[in-house]
Amino acid sequence: MTAIEIRDLAKSFGSVKAVDGVSFTVEAGSVTGYLGPNGAGKTTTLRCLLGLVTPDSGEALVDGRRYVTLPQPVTEVGAVLEATSFHPGRTALDHLRILCAAAGLPDERAGESLAMVGLADVGDKRVGGFSLGMRQRLALSSALLGRPKIFILDEPANGLDPAGIEWLRGFLRHLAHDQGAAVLVSSHVLAEVEQTVDNVVIIARGRLVRQGSLAELTTNGDSAVRVRASDTATLGPALEAAGAKVERVEDGLLRVRGLDASAVGQIALDQRVVLTEVTQERSDLQKVFLELTGER
Amino acid sequence: MTGLVKAEVRKLFTTRLWWIMLLVMLVLIGVNLTFITAFAGVTNEASGGAAIPGRETAEWVQTAWSAGAGGSIFVMILGVVMITSEYRYQTVTGTFLTTPRRGRVIGAKLITGALAGLLFALVALVLVAAVVIPATLLSGGELSLSESRIPQVSLGILVSTSLYGLFGIGLGALVRNQIAGIVGAVVWAYVIESIFTAIPVLHPVGKWLPGGAAQALMSIDVDTGLGRPEWLPAWGGALVLIAYGLLFAVVASATTVRRDIT
Repeated sequence: MTAIEIRDLAKSFGSVKAVDGVSFTVEAGSVTGYLGPNGAGKTTTLRCLLGLVTPDSGEALVDGRRYVTLPQPVTEVGAVLEATSFHPGRTALDHLRILCAAAGLPDERAGESLAMVGLADVGDKRVGGFSLGMRQRLALSSALLGRPKIFILDEPANGLDPAGIEWLRGFLRHLAHDQGAAVLVSSHVLAEVEQTVDNVVIIARGRLVRQGSLAELTTNGDSAVRVRASDTATLGPALEAAGAKVERVEDGLLRVRGLDASAVGQIALDQRVVLTEVTQERSDLQKVFLELTGER
Repeated sequence: MTGLVKAEVRKLFTTRLWWIMLLVMLVLIGVNLTFITAFAGVTNEASGGAAIPGRETAEWVQTAWSAGAGGSIFVMILGVVMITSEYRYQTVTGTFLTTPRRGRVIGAKLITGALAGLLFALVALVLVAAVVIPATLLSGGELSLSESRIPQVSLGILVSTSLYGLFGIGLGALVRNQIAGIVGAVVWAYVIESIFTAIPVLHPVGKWLPGGAAQALMSIDVDTGLGRPEWLPAWGGALVLIAYGLLFAVVASATTVRRDIT
C-alpha cells in the first residue's frame, strides 16, 4: 500500500495557482524530501494532504484514504506544520495532554513523546519561553503521540542549530529505516535534507519539476569520470578504443564519458599506466536544484 | 465526544485567562452588591421614593440577587477567546489535525463554553448569597424563597450565563480576530444591550435581545426609575435565549467547517 499518494492536486488562492497538477507518491520505509523554493506550493500540498485545505481538484491520500475520513488520524499520521502553533502560556506537557484527550490516547503518551525528543526536563515549563528549536522538537513530539507509521513534516529543520539538525536527520532515518515509517519532509534548504532523504520530489511555482531517487538526481545521464594518469597519451586512445568519449582537460587530466571508474581502471592496468586519480563526477545537487527550480 | 470535551476543558484551564476573568467578575459583582446594599432604602429627593428598596424587603433581595447575572459578559469573552486564541496562536492546526471532523470540535467547544458559564454562575451565586442573606437578615428582613423568587432568579442566572458562553463562541468563530471579538462582546453587552434594555421606548426591541430575554427569564420586576420594563414571559425569555444559542452554534459550525486553514 502506498503510504502517501498525491494525484493531479491543484489549489488556487484567488488568482494565484499555489499547486498546479502535482502528483507523487511516498512509500513506507523511505524518507522523501519535498523540495522547492519558498512559495513553491509545498505547504499548500501538505495542508491539502492533511485535510486543512480543500483542493480545487485532484486527490491527496494517506494509506489510500482521505485524511479527514480516518477514524483515528493521529495513530496513522504524525504531522508537524509550523513550530509557532502553541499557546505561549501553556506548558509543553499540557499541550500534549490536550492532544491526548482529543485523540483518546492515555496521558502517559505525553511524557513519553516528550522524552523521545529530549524535552523531558522542560515539560512543566510554559512554551512562551521556548527557543524555536525547542518548539520544533515539541511539535515533533506531538506527531509521535499516536505512534503513527506515516510522518508529514513541513520545514522541520527551521530554527534548529547544527546539532539539532544532525539529531533530526538521525531521528528521521531511524523512523523510516528502522521502524518502516513513510516520511515526507519538506524543505527549501537542500543541504538540510541532502544527507537524510532517499527520494526527492522537486516543485517550483506550483508544478512538479523532478521526482526520483537522490542517486538518480545527482548522477546525471551524462556523468563523467575524471582521470589523472602518468601517461595520458597512451591511456587516452586506449579508452577511446574501448568506446569512451575522452576530453583532455589539461596536461595529465582526462574527462571520460561512456565508461565507469572500474572500466577505466581495468584499461589503465592493461596499458600499464599509473592512475593518480579516478573520480566519478557527481553533479552538484545544489546546482541541479537551482537549475530545476529556475533560480539562478 | 467525551474526550473532545475533556480536551477543551483542559485548554481552558491550562492557561491563565479563566481565573483572571473569574476574579474580575467577582470584583465587579462585589462592587455592584456594595452599591445595592449601601444605597438600599435611601430616599431620592427628586422622586420622593427610594430608588432601591429597603434591605428588609423581598424586592431588595430580588434586586440584589440578580446582580449574580453580572458574570455573563466574562463568560462571553471566555467563549470568544476559546475560538479566537486557536486562530491567534495557530493551535487550530493541531486541533483539526487531531480531529478532522471540525463540527465535533465546535460541538465540544459549545458544551465546554456552557459548562464554564455554569461554573461562573455558581461562583457568582455563592458570592451573592454570602452578601445578600446576612444583609437582609441583619436588617430585620425575612428570607422568603417564594416572595423574593430566589430559585427563579438563580435558575435564570445559571441558564443565561451558560448561553452567553455559546454566544461568545459563535461570535469568535464569526470574527476570528481576538481583539475584534472581545471588543464586539463588550460593546454588545455594555452599550447595545444596555441601551435597548434600559430605555423603555426601546423595550419592544430590547426584550428580544439576549440581555432582555435573560431579564425575562429571571422575571426581574423592579422599577429602576425609568419606568417598569415589559419583558417577555419567563418561558418566552427562555425560548429566545435558546434560539440565540442555536443560532450562534450554527454560525460557529458553518463558518468553521469548510474554511481553509492556511
